[in-house]
Amino acid sequence: MPCEVRMPQLGMVQDSGVITAWLKRNGDPVKAGEPIFEVETDKATMEVEAATDGYLSGVKAAEGDDVPVGDLIAMIVEAEGDVEEASTGASVTEPEDVAVVEAALRSEPKPEMRPTSAPLERAMSKSVAFGRVLASPKARRLATKRGIDLHQLRAQGVAEPIHVADLDAAFAVGRNSLLSAVVDPTAFDEILDRSRTANRTRLLASFAAGAWRATFDVSSVSVTIEDLDGQREVVINPDRGGAGVAEDPVLTLVDLCGTRINGYVPMDGGVTLCVARSAAGYGLLLAFPESRLALPGAAALVEEIAVRIENPLLQLL
Amino acid sequence: MTREITLSQAVNEAIAEEMRRDETVILVGEDVAEAGTPFKVLSGLVEEFGTDRVIDTPIAEPGFMGIAVGAAMTGLRPIVDLMFGDFLYLVMDQLCNQAAKTHYMSGGKLNVPLVLRTNLGATRRSAAQHSQSLHALVAHIPGLKVAMPSSAYEAKGLLKAAIRDDNPVVIFEDKLMYQDKAPVPEEEYLLPLGEAAILREGLEVTLIGTSSMRQVCEKAAEILEADGISAEVVDPRTLVPLDEGTILGSVRKTSRAIVVDEGHQNFGVTAEIAARISEKAFYHLDAPVIRMGAMDVPVPFSPALEDLTVPTPEAVAANARALVRGVPVHAL
Repeated sequence: MPCEVRMPQLGMVQDSGVITAWLKRNGDPVKAGEPIFEVETDKATMEVEAATDGYLSGVKAAEGDDVPVGDLIAMIVEAEGDVEEASTGASVTEPEDVAVVEAALRSEPKPEMRPTSAPLERAMSKSVAFGRVLASPKARRLATKRGIDLHQLRAQGVAEPIHVADLDAAFAVGRNSLLSAVVDPTAFDEILDRSRTANRTRLLASFAAGAWRATFDVSSVSVTIEDLDGQREVVINPDRGGAGVAEDPVLTLVDLCGTRINGYVPMDGGVTLCVARSAAGYGLLLAFPESRLALPGAAALVEEIAVRIENPLLQLL
Repeated sequence: MTREITLSQAVNEAIAEEMRRDETVILVGEDVAEAGTPFKVLSGLVEEFGTDRVIDTPIAEPGFMGIAVGAAMTGLRPIVDLMFGDFLYLVMDQLCNQAAKTHYMSGGKLNVPLVLRTNLGATRRSAAQHSQSLHALVAHIPGLKVAMPSSAYEAKGLLKAAIRDDNPVVIFEDKLMYQDKAPVPEEEYLLPLGEAAILREGLEVTLIGTSSMRQVCEKAAEILEADGISAEVVDPRTLVPLDEGTILGSVRKTSRAIVVDEGHQNFGVTAEIAARISEKAFYHLDAPVIRMGAMDVPVPFSPALEDLTVPTPEAVAANARALVRGVPVHAL
């Protein structure tokens, strides 16, 4: 009978595990008790053993993949003839096979970052030796904050230990992705019209901070407010009355309402939110390097900001 | 107005000013009166203040240290001169069991406003029993404050603050620095115990240097500047109390730190400061905190060997360069 291989729960609060190394390839014979892959949780790296004798079949996850606990990773089938193809195309650990490892990366491989095989070899051999990616505490913290997967940097050939400079260097500065949205202006305009004290830019900063907090579940959010004259001001937790400790600002807000300009994308590689007012409503433009903010997070962030402008009461939640 | 004076003159001025200001201040130790100490720091004091207040003692450190602790408990403010830091071993009971604990054990009824002046530092070719830097021993004992001046300016300001402190303070002067000159104000000033100084601002690595290692760090920073690396130099000035805020603030800015001190590296001052940084600024660190203390050997008499045992500007710069460039200093 075929036997399922699922992501095991190795810790009390673990909800996923990163496959750091496949020790068997798709189609390889395995014996019960034999380790078939290595998985890293936030606490430890462990080998996962085959539950039965057979052949590894239909491998669905590649090295570097973060797989939710309980998800099917592969099957162990009784007969060699029943072996199904791997659906990742990447149950291969040979370091020289750059193309295959790249295909396993979750984001699109970027041609200019195609690694030479030498650093990749070093990274892969380390992956076997250590299981976890070696990174400085600050690099690890910033990677988490920016949504960067350190395994991905390792696979790109970044030498370990990974430092903060590697996070920036691995992604060319100034290459931003863009998301834009147009938002119904009625409710927000009404607030601005009726209040003599409301400051539009400050309100937008607090919406952005609240949206960031809601999207990324962080406790402290600083925002840089920049204008086209180059004036910059950092506000700490604008959605919480400015209380709290200064942190590196998570994004730069450029309030373009009142100008004819509707977008500005700086080359410094930071996350920038431009808000412009046109006949159609409030236009949001989020420029973000994917090294610092992954697309799903960025999209969720824009949604959160948009609903706050449409319905400012939501900010109170 | 400032003028340049030697560390030796700065200490002499501090003691003379405090003795003039407060007649309970006395000076006790070997050769403090007639000889003015082997380093000539105290010359002229006995002429001004007389042998009642500048007291030569027999060669009996436990004896005069005990006398001073008793004098402090009963209303005087003794400055004890311990000729070499290495002799601390002789006064451990009087200092650590009596002076350090009396205020606590008397329920606050007794104070021990005592200053123990002594020295540290190798490379004076004085061999293993006259070259040690033993400040970590006393910094370990609750109830003792420990000051580490790194210049004539600090020596005067810290010593005056120590004399006015109502608790025992041990102050370590580097015996190789007595003739080093620095600008010192003509006017009176105190340097509060527990305030570090940022002596040079930088962005990429914090070099924390105590006593003469401050100069080593400053020279290292100059070497690094030529390499295009921006180093910040912090002098803690006092180990107890330790100005954590300044040290951690600097490391949070630079993300990297090297702690340099002339005590032995094992279980030493560098370890304590490095541990606090690792504990309290962990998520701001982009590299391991590096300790650079004296080699863990008895200080050799051979000049060629002795010079190898203490951190040098070149060695500090080499480690800083590795940290900034992301090269592991220790094996992964």
